[in-house]
Amino acid sequence: MRRDLPIILLLAWLLAPSWAAGGPVQDLIDRARPGETVIVPAGHHREHLKIDKPITLDGHDAATIDGGGEGIVIEITAPDVTIRNLRITGSGSTVSGEPCAIRALAGPVVIEHNTIDDCLFGIDLRESPGAIVRDNTIIGKDLEEARRGDAIRLWWCHESTVERNRVRRARDLVFWYSEGLTIRENRVEDSRYGLHFMYSHHTVLSRNDLRRNAVGIYLMYSNDITLEHNTMIANRGASGYGIGLKDCDNIIVRDNAMLANRVGIYIDNSPSSVDATGLLEGNTIADNGTGILATPNTHDNVFTHNALIENEEQAAAHGRGTLHLNSFSRDGVGNFWSDYPAFDGDNDGIGDLPYEPRSLFHSLLSAEPNLRIFLHSPAQQAIEFTARVVPELRPEPVLVDPAPLVDPPAMPEGPRDGRRAPMLALGSALILVAGGLGGVLTHGQIRTPTYRRDAQ
Amino acid sequence: MLCVARREFVDAIAGKWFLLCSLTFALLALAISFVSLSTAGSHAFAGFSKTTAGLLNLVMLVVPLMALTSGSASIAAERERGTLLYLLAQPISRVELLLGKYLGLSGALICSICVGFAISAIVLAWHAGSAGAGSYALLVANTIVLALAMLSTAFLVSVLARRASIASGISIFLWLTLVFLSDLGLMAGTILFKLRVQEVFALAIVNPMQAFKMGVIHAMNDSLDVLGPVGAYATHTLGNALPLILAGVLVIWIALPLLLASLCFARRSTL
Repeated sequence: MRRDLPIILLLAWLLAPSWAAGGPVQDLIDRARPGETVIVPAGHHREHLKIDKPITLDGHDAATIDGGGEGIVIEITAPDVTIRNLRITGSGSTVSGEPCAIRALAGPVVIEHNTIDDCLFGIDLRESPGAIVRDNTIIGKDLEEARRGDAIRLWWCHESTVERNRVRRARDLVFWYSEGLTIRENRVEDSRYGLHFMYSHHTVLSRNDLRRNAVGIYLMYSNDITLEHNTMIANRGASGYGIGLKDCDNIIVRDNAMLANRVGIYIDNSPSSVDATGLLEGNTIADNGTGILATPNTHDNVFTHNALIENEEQAAAHGRGTLHLNSFSRDGVGNFWSDYPAFDGDNDGIGDLPYEPRSLFHSLLSAEPNLRIFLHSPAQQAIEFTARVVPELRPEPVLVDPAPLVDPPAMPEGPRDGRRAPMLALGSALILVAGGLGGVLTHGQIRTPTYRRDAQ
Repeated sequence: MLCVARREFVDAIAGKWFLLCSLTFALLALAISFVSLSTAGSHAFAGFSKTTAGLLNLVMLVVPLMALTSGSASIAAERERGTLLYLLAQPISRVELLLGKYLGLSGALICSICVGFAISAIVLAWHAGSAGAGSYALLVANTIVLALAMLSTAFLVSVLARRASIASGISIFLWLTLVFLSDLGLMAGTILFKLRVQEVFALAIVNPMQAFKMGVIHAMNDSLDVLGPVGAYATHTLGNALPLILAGVLVIWIALPLLLASLCFARRSTL
């Protein structure tokens, strides 16, 4: 029996951290009085923490809490807890139990200036109203999209603020059953849904920057939301949208930029209530595969002052149908369409003829999406030409803008690069190639009569 | 062989047809650059901008036409004029003669393509800066490959046809088929027979124009998702092999017709 004792002790020592809290940082937390600030000593701490009283945990940008690839790294069960300036890493990675960097089961809490990496879920707040999540950097585990967790999830957290966070390679930033949120200036890249609202009403989302996600902003079953000054670029998932609205009432989408997404804005039965409306005003929708895509039952949205620029397809109904249940002007002011052949006799900035896009190829596309493979080919031009020549073939216009703008409303300046050198160099290089080739091949010709050497 | 190439090149460059084609191409490229600059776009958020889309369409129309018509005249015209006999009397093999002519015409084609693109590159640089210079270079490179493929096909026609007029007739019909008829037919087939994505993709890339187009788009976007379900399917299932497959199609369109042309030309009687 005595012989086994060292082994048992060794095992106990090895397993102790995962059994119960009891590392040095947890000891500091346990000894702290409510309201105190616990300074985490600089260095790497392989611990799981439980915080059950209102304290502030501050890492001074020098301390790392490492869960060692297991479970929840920091769990908060008391209100008025602040966690700041920490690096948190190494949560579990199996979906069961939803392991995360920080989970709060009470509120309010403040989570700020932390760096989170290698965690399945990032910040998971459950019933923590009034929470503040700001200035955190969250980089998800290097997993395929379907196996990743949410970078930030709020569940029943009314009146919370999520701002200036930077997120990369996660699943969603998702907001469930939370009202009156402030969501601003977050940047989400290479994730699934940049900002995802489920049953969360009365919120303003502003100045967020969402790039290369499957979907930029996706609102579902959420009402009375304003989206302002957000930027959605290159969100190109297989069903990717800059903005998606599903069964949402009274949404205002104003002054956003949707650029180079698969679809700029997708509207699925929003508004869904009879007396509700939607307003899209002053947005720049450019270079997307489809600018505006809406299910044919979508109704009572007003589009005004938007600039639709060079979208491969400016507007389309999802499946067959039209967008005639919506209006594309308000008080005699419509939208700018870059493919509108402007005709403005009275110089009032409003085109004299309505904008009525009726592309035969696009109407074929909505019947048979596989045909999109023939985009950008002469055959597409041939089809459009035929439809122009044979009016019987022209489809019904997908929408009518009775007062299209002749000039685009003030546009955000794109990331244009003013240098000319590379393109000029390329042009000169091409000329050199042409000249060189000509020189080499004509040189012998001029000096020696044809085939003289061969003939000898 | 190089002598033949030289002579062919000089003849081609000096010919009116080539001058006309290169001028047309350069002017249209220029026009497209100006038009796309004048629309409010030109903020190159997308790797694939309106200018490149316009140039793509132009290339698919004009470049194959140039290659097919000039190539189909090469052997057939010499045969009709009787100069082929003279050429074959020189101490070079028939295959050398054929390849020499191919080389010479390729040089001429590449020259005129480069000049056309260079002019519009300079215009673009002046007005829009240099966003997308890399994509533009890729477009040029791909165009040259497409031109070589079409030239190769034209040589096969030229070797087989009895008269120059027949050769150019066939090449015009080929152009029409590759540019319009096959795609329109495949579109109709897709609708009528409800073809599945993999079938549409496999049938589409047989056409060198589509392989060229997809190659350019893939090079610029690193994905074919702009081309809808079929493009997304190809991107996801083929992954890194996709650009190789597309390039492979074009290489086959260069190598196979040229090989067949050489074989037929070597076997056939002089006239």
